[in-house]
Amino acid sequence: MKIFIDPPNSLILYDLVERFGHEPLSTMAALRDKVTSLEIDSPPLNITYKDVQKGLNYAGIEVPSGIRGRLAIFGPLVDEAEAAIIMEEPPYAFGCVGCHRTTLMLKYLLRKREIPMLQISYPSNEEEAKLMVSQVKEFLEGLK
Amino acid sequence: MSEEIETRLIVIAPSSEVTPDHVTRFIHGLGLPITVKETCYGAIIEGPKDLVRGALEKVRELDPNRICSKIRGFPMGDTRRCRAHHGSRPGFAQLEKEWETLALIAEGLRCVQKGEKVTEPEKRKVLPVMELKRIIEEVSK
Repeated sequence: MKIFIDPPNSLILYDLVERFGHEPLSTMAALRDKVTSLEIDSPPLNITYKDVQKGLNYAGIEVPSGIRGRLAIFGPLVDEAEAAIIMEEPPYAFGCVGCHRTTLMLKYLLRKREIPMLQISYPSNEEEAKLMVSQVKEFLEGLK
Repeated sequence: MSEEIETRLIVIAPSSEVTPDHVTRFIHGLGLPITVKETCYGAIIEGPKDLVRGALEKVRELDPNRICSKIRGFPMGDTRRCRAHHGSRPGFAQLEKEWETLALIAEGLRCVQKGEKVTEPEKRKVLPVMELKRIIEEVSK
């Protein structure tokens, strides 16, 4: 099954989802298509007017452009997802990775789709890590 | 670039005894037509998707719970990201933090494999104002 992960570029979640036999939907795959496409309209990152339009499918015009831009990438992944795993408050969620408003919008979009969703917290010690891994395993095995 | 080409990060947990050098030599030893680059956290490999996946499976056998991987959006040596061309590294803080946490995740995976019972750790409680006041008074004496 296709699993949306949040943060969408998390190494930990990507690895765990693959380990337990599912396909993670990540930013990396979405961006790869964009940056390696032969038809680069707008170098260096190939962001075009089509992306602006895509972003508007998920957030209104009054929403800041940064959020709309992120949603232009993440939104189609949410549409494609059959289940989702959300990691709450990762400590590295700042700068370009950590737009809190985008995360809130993503959670809203996921809830609206009514797909199976697991919310876990970022582990800060061994006990929390054990709990997190067992929750992820249980959730992913239950989807098969 | 073809869709079949995949670039992957291989990240070794800090608790592992496997080194990036070991991983890189091991992949070279497989004799597959893929590109390998040694990095501080492990290695980057790039090549046809099925070969990259095959190499990853074999590398994982070295230390299954402590070698993790994810795909990378930008190709290897891309001038927009490669440090040799003064590319930006916006995801480095995240990778560094997740690399640190991999030791905990490895422990979690070991626990799940052994079927150990996991108890939910106590949640951190909010410190009551009166308790904070008492601590302040105690310290400022």
